[in-house]
Amino acid sequence: MAQTIQNDKRYEAGVIPYKKMGYWEPDYQPIDTDIIALFRITPQPGVDPEEAAAAVAGESSTATWTVVWTDRLTACEKYRAKAYRVDQVPGNEEQYFAYIAYDIQLFEPGSIANLTASIIGNVFGFKAVKALRLEDMRIPTAYMTTYKGPPTGIVVERERLDKFGRPLLGATTKPKLGLSGRNYGRVVYEALKGGLDFVKDDENINSQPFMHWRDRFLYVMEAVNKATAATGEVKGHYLNVTAATMEEMYERAEFAKELGSCIIMIDLVIGYTAIQSMSNWARKNDMILHLHRAGHSTYTRQKNHGVSFRVISKWMRMAGVDHIHAGTVVGKLEGDPNQIAGFYDVLREPHNEQNLEHGVFFDQDWAGLNKCMPVASGGIHAGQMHQLLHYLGEDTILQFGGGTIGHPDGIQAGATANRVALEAMIMARNEGRDYMAEGPDILQKAAKDCKPLQHALDTWKDITFDYTSTDTPDFVPSTTTSV
Amino acid sequence: MRITQGTFSFLPDLTDEQIKRQVKYCLDNGWAVSLEYTDDPHPRNTYWEMYGQPMFDLRDPAGLMMDLEECRKTYPKHYIRVTAFDSTHQWETPRLSFIVNRPPEEPGFRLKRQEQEGRKVRYTIDSYASDQPEGQRY
Amino acid sequence: MSVADKPDETRADEKTLDADAKVDLDAVFEESRIQEVFDQLDHDLVGLKPVKTRIREIAALLLVDHVRRQFDLASDSPTLHMCFTGNPGTGKTTVAERMADILHKLDYIREGHLVSVTRDDLVGRYIGHTAPKTKEVIKRAMGGVLFIDEAYYLYRPENERDYGQESIEILLQVMENNRDDLVVILAGYKDRMDRFFESNPGFRSRIAHHIDFPDYRADELESIGELMMNEENYHFSDDARQAFSEYIERRMRQPHFANARSIRNALDRMRLRQAKRLFEARGSITKSDLITIQADDVRASRVFDEPLDDEAGA
Repeated sequence: MAQTIQNDKRYEAGVIPYKKMGYWEPDYQPIDTDIIALFRITPQPGVDPEEAAAAVAGESSTATWTVVWTDRLTACEKYRAKAYRVDQVPGNEEQYFAYIAYDIQLFEPGSIANLTASIIGNVFGFKAVKALRLEDMRIPTAYMTTYKGPPTGIVVERERLDKFGRPLLGATTKPKLGLSGRNYGRVVYEALKGGLDFVKDDENINSQPFMHWRDRFLYVMEAVNKATAATGEVKGHYLNVTAATMEEMYERAEFAKELGSCIIMIDLVIGYTAIQSMSNWARKNDMILHLHRAGHSTYTRQKNHGVSFRVISKWMRMAGVDHIHAGTVVGKLEGDPNQIAGFYDVLREPHNEQNLEHGVFFDQDWAGLNKCMPVASGGIHAGQMHQLLHYLGEDTILQFGGGTIGHPDGIQAGATANRVALEAMIMARNEGRDYMAEGPDILQKAAKDCKPLQHALDTWKDITFDYTSTDTPDFVPSTTTSV
Repeated sequence: MRITQGTFSFLPDLTDEQIKRQVKYCLDNGWAVSLEYTDDPHPRNTYWEMYGQPMFDLRDPAGLMMDLEECRKTYPKHYIRVTAFDSTHQWETPRLSFIVNRPPEEPGFRLKRQEQEGRKVRYTIDSYASDQPEGQRY
Repeated sequence: MSVADKPDETRADEKTLDADAKVDLDAVFEESRIQEVFDQLDHDLVGLKPVKTRIREIAALLLVDHVRRQFDLASDSPTLHMCFTGNPGTGKTTVAERMADILHKLDYIREGHLVSVTRDDLVGRYIGHTAPKTKEVIKRAMGGVLFIDEAYYLYRPENERDYGQESIEILLQVMENNRDDLVVILAGYKDRMDRFFESNPGFRSRIAHHIDFPDYRADELESIGELMMNEENYHFSDDARQAFSEYIERRMRQPHFANARSIRNALDRMRLRQAKRLFEARGSITKSDLITIQADDVRASRVFDEPLDDEAGA
């Protein structure tokens, strides 16, 4: 059924449909080493979906808009991406899922920049499609092993921190902007002493006039060490080393190391190459690397266009970060429970099975790459502990910023409330109790020994963020809402 | 002060019944449980003394409880913790660890600051108790 | 699990009954699903009448005990350490496995597994080796049944410094202090076990049930053989059944006879001979050929060649 025009006619000057140039091969069987991309395509009115898929395959690999004779100097059949399957999106007449296979030799080993330059390069602006979204990718083991993955990983991070069997607890220092280094360190000390494991710089805390980075690092490390001595526990603060240039980022990272920090942080906006460089640095310096996904919603949130966060998760695990913000389900930010389960699986499992309900389209083996710790942050509080544990599991970091610092009795009390709620819930779960159903009771009972928890429960008892998600799976019967 | 290492240190000390239920959870997951004790609870002191080998192939917490009783008798004022190991591929690490005995008085840690150039400080954490020789600390 | 060990929530659920309340024993029995185990026992184990009777008595005791507790009638949970005596192949290990299952179903033990050991598993080779070894075994058996086969080997009076004594002391202590955590079953020949108890009265006093496993009668052994055959999808031709019956009578009179174990070994050899016969005949064979043991397969045994009083293998 392949409709490729053969030999002499194929390379005559002029414009021929992509479908006929060899980019649509419905009989093609992807081989084990192929990289497969799944796109959601919304063709322009009147454009045949198969032609649109072929065009995407063409534009993300060898093609240009017209025939070029220089193709014939290459083994071009090999280099052409092949669209081999187009399915209509369930319940949506405008959109199609297009499966496209790429030969492994189209990509530079170990380079997210190169991979993405092809897969999400020019093609996203291509006129023949009204909108285009990269939904999922299957990375073959042969290509996966060219990436180093998270420098630390969940297992080693837990061993270094000596914290097992429960989610880690964190908070972002608030207010986001304006605190001096001295005031900033106060928040860090209070939160860590109260019971959190980590405190975090916000994504836009870099080196502004109100607080230069060196000042922040020095005060924060005083707070971290003081809290460690006060509790006997390993504590940390994600020092954000994001800066304008690599040179400056390295300088900040080196300083964090000199001061004895166990973790540094970067923002997604620094770019894939910078992320991979910082990952190498972190591996070389025994540093945990935290990634804040600043900016991702500009392209992950809308269902018809952009890149699914599931794909970003894959790329970031390959690029090598230890932590990545991946949604809360229950908090203030976008997050359908099924989609988020899919992101978490992609980040944490040694092997993913296809799971359409969670939006996982391909089996994916991680070839031994470390596991990446998902971080849940944004509008969560102690009263949701049973839901957080149920939806997100044990290997995650729960970040209660407002839920710690906004506690009526102060930051330490806020931290203690979260820690007690968490430990009580873990204990109940391990005892085999139906903690999802009994959650509120378990919390109330724990609050009897812990006033701060009682006050937290009273303060935030009715706070939920109940909006319909925009990024939802296509393979569940009805739209799910955030809980 | 109260050292808050381990999974349940923010809750009231676990009763034996509660310990049994946690151990049961570990055993049902196929993890090996073990007892470790120390009188040097520095946060970087990874290697507490092992009270016997990790217990593989246990079905019921009573086995661990028997050893715990002995261990508490021998080291009534030491820190004792239960640690559960998971040998599953890509875990191969402790999956739960919690304190089941602690000294009546916990003096805590001294934070030593060594000032360096450029406002930098080198921090050292020191257990007050470890000023005494091993075995005489609590 | 004894009530004292249950989590708080469960205990709170068990209300004390009024003195004049009535409890339907049939219902209690039904709920325990113990009948299934009895049926299975009757089906799988031929003979052993006294053993089965004793098992029923123990089950009754535990059920009544359970009901007594509902009336808040205090009594210690009964001691259930046992001693199984009998010749080899009389079903001691099998019954021990079933016992673990029964005690679990009756909530007397928490897990229902059986850890089967001999002296070598318990006693070490040098000073300081025995205690950890014995304790390790005990810890593994907690929640279930510890079955010590040929327990008398633990005691070697001829050697004053034998480490077995250390193991015995630990076992005695655990049998006394951890009655809620495990059941110990000692097993072995009757005469040797009796002598063992004479020298170790501590053991005798801690054992509540002495159960003797009689040798099987010839007809019982025949049934056992049939059962074993059927389990493996074989059956005897009529001639072979007759031959098998004669085989048993002869074999029983020979030395080293080990009841069901000898039968198992004999059947294994018959299968071997059947396979050889089929193979040598070549040609096509049917399903019926494959499952049938013929008289020749039985009668080729040396048991038929030799005078009855001679030393002979099966």
